[in-house]
Amino acid sequence: MDLKVLFSRKSNYVARDVNGEKILVPISNNIAEMRRLYTLNEVGAFIWDAIDGKNTFETIVGMVVNEFNTDAETARKDTLEFLQQLQGLISEESTI
Amino acid sequence: MKSLSISIAGFILKLQSDDSIELSLDDGYLPYIIPESPKKPDIIIHCKTPVPAELCNAEDIIFEARNSEKRFYCICKLFDSYKFIIYDQEKEGVIRQIAILNADFSEWTVYSCGHNNDKVFPLHFPMGPIILYYLTVKYDAIMIHASGVVDPLGGRIFMGFSGSGKSTMAAIWQFRGSTIINDDRLIIRKENSNYVMYNTPMFYPDKPKKAVLKQVHIIHHSPENNMVRISGARAVSKVLAFCIQNDFNAGFIEHHLAFLSEMCSKIPVYEVGFKSDPEIVDYIQQHAV
Repeated sequence: MDLKVLFSRKSNYVARDVNGEKILVPISNNIAEMRRLYTLNEVGAFIWDAIDGKNTFETIVGMVVNEFNTDAETARKDTLEFLQQLQGLISEESTI
Repeated sequence: MKSLSISIAGFILKLQSDDSIELSLDDGYLPYIIPESPKKPDIIIHCKTPVPAELCNAEDIIFEARNSEKRFYCICKLFDSYKFIIYDQEKEGVIRQIAILNADFSEWTVYSCGHNNDKVFPLHFPMGPIILYYLTVKYDAIMIHASGVVDPLGGRIFMGFSGSGKSTMAAIWQFRGSTIINDDRLIIRKENSNYVMYNTPMFYPDKPKKAVLKQVHIIHHSPENNMVRISGARAVSKVLAFCIQNDFNAGFIEHHLAFLSEMCSKIPVYEVGFKSDPEIVDYIQQHAV
């Protein structure tokens, strides 16, 4: 993973906050993919909110470390795994 | 001008037609007929016949309800309104009804082919449930695949995938003294601080029923009875899966998510595995919070 890569949310989803958690419903060809719902826990919802097109992967990992009092290696691994699961809802852009 | 009013889930639907049309309802709707009311209807349905040829083109399709063998209906965008083309299930490719829904979902114009000695059945399945679905989108309500029962402690709904035991569970509760609201399809409305479930017309006559909802159960068959309470996003997403929806419009999804988020924060939601015998009634009554 390029630590400087920027992540942005696409617009093909409907999101709903539920007590600090989040539900994402992907939209494909104008149809909601109800069988591909994402249910994000508090950490996932935090990372999703951090994906704003301005924060790099490295920045997001740092935010997770600070927010959830975890070590950088664990945060990096979990964040990378989470972002891979969101493929189709986010886009990557190199800062170089 | 002829008119007929029905009340379903507390909504008033007013059907209107020219004098030349014999306006008819399927048997399941007859118990829902109400006297003409001075109250403003929630929707007006203009009933016409025949189906105009110029409306039969299926362009700009935004949603299609079909399986691998048949088309049931499709929805086309028509400027700021929607056009629904309902296909005849007996004759492949034949259109049985065309319906136009206006921009604010307050008025329908339903064109039907005449049949049965030129009687017109504007709410014949699936038109009736489609109209009800758009009522729930317009107002604070949802339509859901679930069975519902009520006893003196309140109403319970049971939802699950096909074959999960919704009708079996409703029958078990009925055997133990509960009243079945319906064993397939319900409308749930928010009314003041309560969530109230209503039955809707089926293919058989049944009187209108309602009950205040106290518990939601997502069920599956299991060798042993078990239940666990779920909450938050998990509960909302699980219940959402059983909502009836035309999911071509992000606004509809937002509406369902908003409704269910609040409902699931106030009504306990359980995942329940059950054996098909009356013990499950005692088990749920003992283990529900």
